[in-house]
Amino acid sequence: MDVQKPGRMSTAETRESGEIVARARAGDAEAWGELYREFAPAIFRFCRRALPTREDAEDATMEIFMKIRDKLDQYDATRPFTSWLYKVSANHCWDMLRRRKIRQDKETDDLETLPLEHPDPNQLDQLIEKRTSEEVRKALDKLGARARMALVLRYYSDMSYDEIADSLGVRRAFVGVVLLRARHELRHALEGTGAMAAGGVR
Amino acid sequence: MTSPPNDARPAGPGHLDEMTCMLYLERQLERSRALEVSAHTQSCDSCRTLLRAMERESRLLTRAMLEEEEPLPARIASFQERVRRSMQWIWMVAFGLGATAIYAMYTSYIEPVQTRMEQAGFGGTSLLSMLIFQGSFWNGWQSVVSLVEVLALVTIAGFALAFARKRIRRGSALALVVAGICGLFASPQPAAATEFRSGASIEIAKDETVKGDLYATGQDISIDGTLDGDLIAWGQEATIRGHVTGDVILFVQSARIEGQVDGNVRGFCNNITVTGTIDHNLMIWAQVIHVDSRGSVGRSITSFSQTLGVDGKVGRDMLIFNQSTRISGTVGGSIDERSETLTIEDSAQIDGPVKFEGEKEPHVSKKAKLASEVKFTQHVRHRQEFGKSSAFWAGVLAVAFALYGMVLFLAMPAFSQEAVQSAENIGASLGLGLLVFFGVLIGSIIAMCTLVGLFVGFSSLFVWLIAVFAAQPVVGALMGQWILGRTKETWPLIGRMMLGVFIIRIATLLPHLGWLIKLGVVLWGLGAISLALYRRFQPAIAAQAPYVPPSAPLTPAGGAAA
Repeated sequence: MDVQKPGRMSTAETRESGEIVARARAGDAEAWGELYREFAPAIFRFCRRALPTREDAEDATMEIFMKIRDKLDQYDATRPFTSWLYKVSANHCWDMLRRRKIRQDKETDDLETLPLEHPDPNQLDQLIEKRTSEEVRKALDKLGARARMALVLRYYSDMSYDEIADSLGVRRAFVGVVLLRARHELRHALEGTGAMAAGGVR
Repeated sequence: MTSPPNDARPAGPGHLDEMTCMLYLERQLERSRALEVSAHTQSCDSCRTLLRAMERESRLLTRAMLEEEEPLPARIASFQERVRRSMQWIWMVAFGLGATAIYAMYTSYIEPVQTRMEQAGFGGTSLLSMLIFQGSFWNGWQSVVSLVEVLALVTIAGFALAFARKRIRRGSALALVVAGICGLFASPQPAAATEFRSGASIEIAKDETVKGDLYATGQDISIDGTLDGDLIAWGQEATIRGHVTGDVILFVQSARIEGQVDGNVRGFCNNITVTGTIDHNLMIWAQVIHVDSRGSVGRSITSFSQTLGVDGKVGRDMLIFNQSTRISGTVGGSIDERSETLTIEDSAQIDGPVKFEGEKEPHVSKKAKLASEVKFTQHVRHRQEFGKSSAFWAGVLAVAFALYGMVLFLAMPAFSQEAVQSAENIGASLGLGLLVFFGVLIGSIIAMCTLVGLFVGFSSLFVWLIAVFAAQPVVGALMGQWILGRTKETWPLIGRMMLGVFIIRIATLLPHLGWLIKLGVVLWGLGAISLALYRRFQPAIAAQAPYVPPSAPLTPAGGAAA
């Protein structure tokens, strides 16, 4: 893959942000401000992708940072700060969505059945070819909460399958299924109708 | 239970299934299986195309999610200040300064003024008149100026320190306020020709002539000679027996004008007696105003007082807001009066029409020479009704506030939104509100004491008043939002504001606690408005957030290049 994997920092950067985190943990207000300035845009965008409205995203961003400030001493400094940050964010957003009882019927079904088709590659290629980022974002808005969250965790936050399993509360073995189903849903949404969706979803 | 997806096998006639492709792309397959897939794609066009298509799909997804199609909301950019602990001390300083100022004001000025006022027969005056009249009692403005100056200096020093440490961004809101107050101090700097005199007694002797304006503070101020300029007097007693060629501005307990004033006489006094001549206008807030039979006012009289007696001559019109008025002299123009009683005596002569709005019929002597009959409009005493059905009047007041808020919200929808948003920042709003409430009030009054600062003082006081009254709608809108949820549209916001205002008005009816709630709401709202105003003039705040490139959401500029 030639796309830069997002959400992961180089060792030097990790060390640098590690220092800032350490200072913030020690109560250095300036470091805390730096931390906020550095990560707030990314966390806001994360929330924006995962949650239905802009207002929700704004609220969630602030709540997440309040949480982070309170929990900063629980952060294990041997692990990358960003993964912890995203983990907290993912948990917060997922809780928020679950509290609202956003319809989950789409997600509770057939997790156990594996989509093992070999879709028409050219059809899929064509579908992807024509789409702009804007269209993809609009399509994302139409997905079920879990499908959307799964895609965000994987393709925005670059979380590992283990981390995704943990955040979404599914077994590690089924993260792939959730992701693939999410992709199918997305193709559906991109198509408008399901007729051409590659993968022959439902 | 099915087997985990990692064990997925190719579907169809020898082709890879989609799940295997995805897991392969995401490096989730076991090594042996990955090698198999890799080998298969070497020979199978269809699978290779599928793999490539899915990879493009992943990239498209990542790109779509990482793109920054909208700027970081100002709310989030500004929220930083709330989570920064460093800001807390700023508000502590603000609260501290505010509390010190209030305490100092109370113990040094209000308390002694209250006692002295009672001794001087000022009992039962309103807060406004207390504020106005206290000028005649205290130790001189110098002490106030130095108090506020010290407060301002301390704050400025704090901010300079903070700026040097690059720690403050939003905190400079306070600096702005303080700078504003200092600006108010700076603006009424005296013109070169102004002479300052202070002391227990200030006198311009009979044969003395002073060129230029005179600013006098003292116990007794007497002008027996000639003052070729304006006179601004602060003190207990002021007597003009000589000649003032300019205007006279008085803040004294008792004033006597026995000589000649070529300009206007304006001021706030307990009592003023005119036995001499004022060529232009007389405009006075006082308890007792008396124009003696020898006294004359060349142009008009505007009076806000308890009792007004005119035995002498008035060249033109009279505008009167009094408790009682008695006229036995000559009035060249019309009289427009709102008061309780009006008495026109035998010797009176009024050349213009007389309009009187009051509670009782005017006493008009039949011998008096009037140009026309007195036009009388009877007034009902509202205050008594107020007591009887306070709930009704509270309702009326609530409606008035809601309407006022509606007008403001409609006139400035964007700014209202910002103000309501700022109100969410309770600590900052209250702190700033405290400072602005007292700072601007004191600053304006000080500025008004001098001619140059008069306009600045009046206009800032005016804006301050608008903001004080707008505080309730702003806080109301926030409370409405708490109940009915957030909104970005104007009319729904107005609806929430009205709900909130009614709740606040009901809360202010509570005995004992009511006034405290009212004060809290005013400080809170005023602070929110000030904060929003400050943000208006600082539009670059959102831009301060660092740009995070699409390719790496969690790495600042450096990471983007990777």
